[in-house]
Amino acid sequence: MEKLVNTKQKDDSTIDQDKLKFAYYPGCSLNSTAIDFNISVKNLFKALNIHFEEIRDWNCCGTTPAHNVSKEMPIALSARNLFLAKNMGLEEIICPCVSCYCKLSKASILINNKEIKSESEIKTRKEIFEIFQDMGFKTEEEFNFKVYSLVELLYKNKELIRQKFIENKNKNSINSETSTIESEILKDLKPVCYYGCVLLRTEGVTKFDNMENPTSMEEILDTVGIKSRHFRFKTECCGAILSLTHKNIVLKLSKEILDAALEAGANSIVVCCPLCQQNLDLRQSQINKHYKSKYNIPVYYISQILGLAMGLSYKDVMIDRLFVEPKFLKK
Amino acid sequence: MIDQDKKYLNTIRHELITIVEPNIYYCYQCGKCTAGCPLSDVYEYQPNEVIRLIQLNKIASILNANSVYLCASCEICSSRCPQEVDIAAVMNYLRIKSWHYKQFKLSSIANFYGIFLRIVKIFGRSFEPLLILSLNLLNKNFFNDFDIAVKILKKRKIRLMPEFIKKRNEVSKIVKKYL
Repeated sequence: MEKLVNTKQKDDSTIDQDKLKFAYYPGCSLNSTAIDFNISVKNLFKALNIHFEEIRDWNCCGTTPAHNVSKEMPIALSARNLFLAKNMGLEEIICPCVSCYCKLSKASILINNKEIKSESEIKTRKEIFEIFQDMGFKTEEEFNFKVYSLVELLYKNKELIRQKFIENKNKNSINSETSTIESEILKDLKPVCYYGCVLLRTEGVTKFDNMENPTSMEEILDTVGIKSRHFRFKTECCGAILSLTHKNIVLKLSKEILDAALEAGANSIVVCCPLCQQNLDLRQSQINKHYKSKYNIPVYYISQILGLAMGLSYKDVMIDRLFVEPKFLKK
Repeated sequence: MIDQDKKYLNTIRHELITIVEPNIYYCYQCGKCTAGCPLSDVYEYQPNEVIRLIQLNKIASILNANSVYLCASCEICSSRCPQEVDIAAVMNYLRIKSWHYKQFKLSSIANFYGIFLRIVKIFGRSFEPLLILSLNLLNKNFFNDFDIAVKILKKRKIRLMPEFIKKRNEVSKIVKKYL
């Protein structure tokens, strides 16, 4: 167990952070139906002193439709975002959305000079570079992109999170022991961590954690004193965007995930993917209707929970925008 | 029905076993892919059956079944295959080919892809209200998700006006080239 001491180290570990600036790629979901994810990530980064700048004039990564109609389209669409980041002088990119992360990661592997490439990859790379040369992008430079998912970045910054948490705790303990909505939510939290399917599984993308039994989210939450329940559905698929065309499949798969969470003794789910969150939170009412069930399980983004632990208000992390609200908000 | 033209089916098979997944003959039907697949109960052919049918040169049967089109690319099959057959890549390749030969069997999904990419082509980004409205119209499922649309509006969690990116022409050029 960690002791609440040693705030001295703070300066040492923030040095790297101060130098480093990330390009931030929100993606279409975070700009609309997952606005709570977007705002909570941004406010969490501010609280943690992680510097970032949104990629100017970014475009959609193409997500599922693009990669199902063409092998090159998702790479070309994502490449534009990478080139735009490069124009801003940034090569370290954060993609909170898991689908965008996979697309940008794959594109970065193809574009980077270092990686070893097959013949067909060299051909695709050349073809895509030609398109961008015509548009006036500089393609002759040395590329060394690194795309981070939110979980990977937070995991790498565990110590920073721990320090900021302790600082905040020491600061607040001077005030009083009054219970706020934020402290009630954190105190009551018995979550399971749900990673979704593709975060750790996509072929060719950096694997920062175990594919079948990842523990990085649990470890991140542990740094702020939250103990997660063991969950056997961590990396099961929620049905993803089949929700638009074959809803019953998604309702069934998502129901199984909610069931498994309850079985694990959890009262909430912590996620890191906007589509998983939508299927589990927004569609929970549809699941209840379809299966005549009474699920009432809040599904938080990991950034929202960490934000609360850093002392942000529930409005700063937009907990009030969840469809299944925690009971403390309903007064 | 799928066009039974042998030439086009042979091209698909040739590319599958030479470029997309040369390991395909290593499959010994252990069934791990099917055991893990979240959609196996709705598939007409299970993932291991799809691989077997390719080995047997029965591409038309695969393209006539729903499996390839419903696959959500969760990639559990590829990640667990003891023979390192990239089943998800095979499914993805078959989807791409059936799209290009205009043989995509599940029209509702084809409509979704078509509308989504056209929206990206116009605006440079996705725009959900237009996507859902057009999809419901095309699929003749007018009140689909009406209940959650109300909830989303109440929570102000959707953009009602599209966002145009500045250099839309660049994005539309890319989409046009590969669509």
